[in-house]
Amino acid sequence: MTTAVADELSLTFAALADPTRRAILTRLAAGEATVGQLAAPFALTQQAISKHIKVLEHAGLISRSRAAQARPCRLEPAGFDAVAEWVGGHRQAWHERYDRLDAHLATLRGTEQNAGQES
Amino acid sequence: MTQAGEFTYRRTHHAMRELLFDCMTQPEHLTHFWGPDGTTTPIDGITVDLRPGGRFETTMVNIADGGQYTMRAVFLAVERPALLSWREADVEGGMVTTVSFTDLGDGRTEVVTHQTNVPSAYASAGFETSLRRFGDYVTTIAAG
Repeated sequence: MTTAVADELSLTFAALADPTRRAILTRLAAGEATVGQLAAPFALTQQAISKHIKVLEHAGLISRSRAAQARPCRLEPAGFDAVAEWVGGHRQAWHERYDRLDAHLATLRGTEQNAGQES
Repeated sequence: MTQAGEFTYRRTHHAMRELLFDCMTQPEHLTHFWGPDGTTTPIDGITVDLRPGGRFETTMVNIADGGQYTMRAVFLAVERPALLSWREADVEGGMVTTVSFTDLGDGRTEVVTHQTNVPSAYASAGFETSLRRFGDYVTTIAAG
């Protein structure tokens, strides 16, 4: 992984680290929404929500339409690809490690049995 | 700012936990399985000072291009055969990996690998579920 890609990933992960921002993303998975609509379920000012939205936008996880005055937010699916890839890769790495451990254990058992047969 | 991410991986192996513990802590075993697929972990690149505060280092070599990556960790807990934990200070915030070995009583052992401060949090099961949902959503968009 190049440094540029890793930095982008750090930005994405930092954006995702906040529960409010994750809730915003979950809401947007159901369809686009305005800042006012996104702020409604939270005990936060529209200004505070706007800050969260800027972070998400900067991380490439959402975009805002320029067409309408309300500038609705929507999810940018491509932004999640790198995250999904990283998480899947991490799990896969442990999965493969323990697969190899099993293969190693099988080898040990085979050696043991052979030794048993010889004695 | 960044919350600690957690990651858990469970696996059952057909072996006694003493053997599994030894596999995870002895270079002559680690060399056979430690590095990711496509790498080797030469035995002379493995350091195991098996005591709390002792070093745990593994150098993995990429088979394709010879590139090397070294994991540098320090053991936090060494309790054969039940528990092993180490901390990688190089990873931002210090990533802690804890491996527990539970005897299932029938010759099998459950090995649970738990990591905290995963650089980026989102390896948690809950978050993976969210990601899968997003994945489904992406697929929907692509299809539409």
